Amino acid sequence: MKILKLALGPYMLAVVLAAFFWPKPARGFIGESSRIVFFHVPCAWTATIAFVVAAVASIVHLKRRDDGSDEAAAAAIRQGFLFSVLATVSGSIFAEVMWGSYWNWDPRETSILMLLFLYAAYLFLRGAISDPERRGVFCAVYAIFAAFIMPFLVFVVPRALASLHPQTIINPQGRILMDVPTRSVFFGSLAGFTALFFWLWSLDRRLERMKRRRRALE
Amino acid sequence: MTALGYVAAANAVIWLGIWIYLLRLDSRLAAEERREPGVGGHRE
Repeated sequence: MKILKLALGPYMLAVVLAAFFWPKPARGFIGESSRIVFFHVPCAWTATIAFVVAAVASIVHLKRRDDGSDEAAAAAIRQGFLFSVLATVSGSIFAEVMWGSYWNWDPRETSILMLLFLYAAYLFLRGAISDPERRGVFCAVYAIFAAFIMPFLVFVVPRALASLHPQTIINPQGRILMDVPTRSVFFGSLAGFTALFFWLWSLDRRLERMKRRRRALE
Repeated sequence: MTALGYVAAANAVIWLGIWIYLLRLDSRLAAEERREPGVGGHRE
């Protein structure tokens, strides 16, 4: 694992530099704004993975009732929330360049805002219950419930309604409409962000486990 | 250097900063886990 963590630095550095200098800007976009796809979409993708991981950890928690799975679910949601915020911010910057306003209440913008509220509620719920056992069960049930809502907000609502948002990667043609440099950097970035999420998730869980054990020793 | 070059350089520096921070945090956590046998459980 150590070697992967060491390799992630130069790997993502190469992805960042390639994102700016290798593919040509896409047609139909103002200036260099299309390059945001290499950062914005991987953030949204990583958030989706995180929320699915949280749901799986929550199911495990309801079966085993152990602290580890509860902490794993909470850590995944914290990271997913962070990547959702990054996706929202990067999307807003793109919106300003393309449509002249940071926020347009576009279906895509509205659905990610609802997603943020959905998972912010989880974090508030966690903070509101002091008994660890009850907190674990309540939060696990909520995380599973949220995982059923999440695909509608991420995949269904933005496609069902007319949107300013550029055509998504999973488009009606069923083809990835990217040239080879764009596709290479895009999938390279997706892989790097996914690896970054699993690293952050592991760090978060280890920190929480250490805090819990320290509390128990006190 | 062009504006794109500056933005690319800023992004590269930000990423390297995050990576170094995470590596340091990871090492510190591993050291803490080794020091306190009851706390760890993490194996590299």
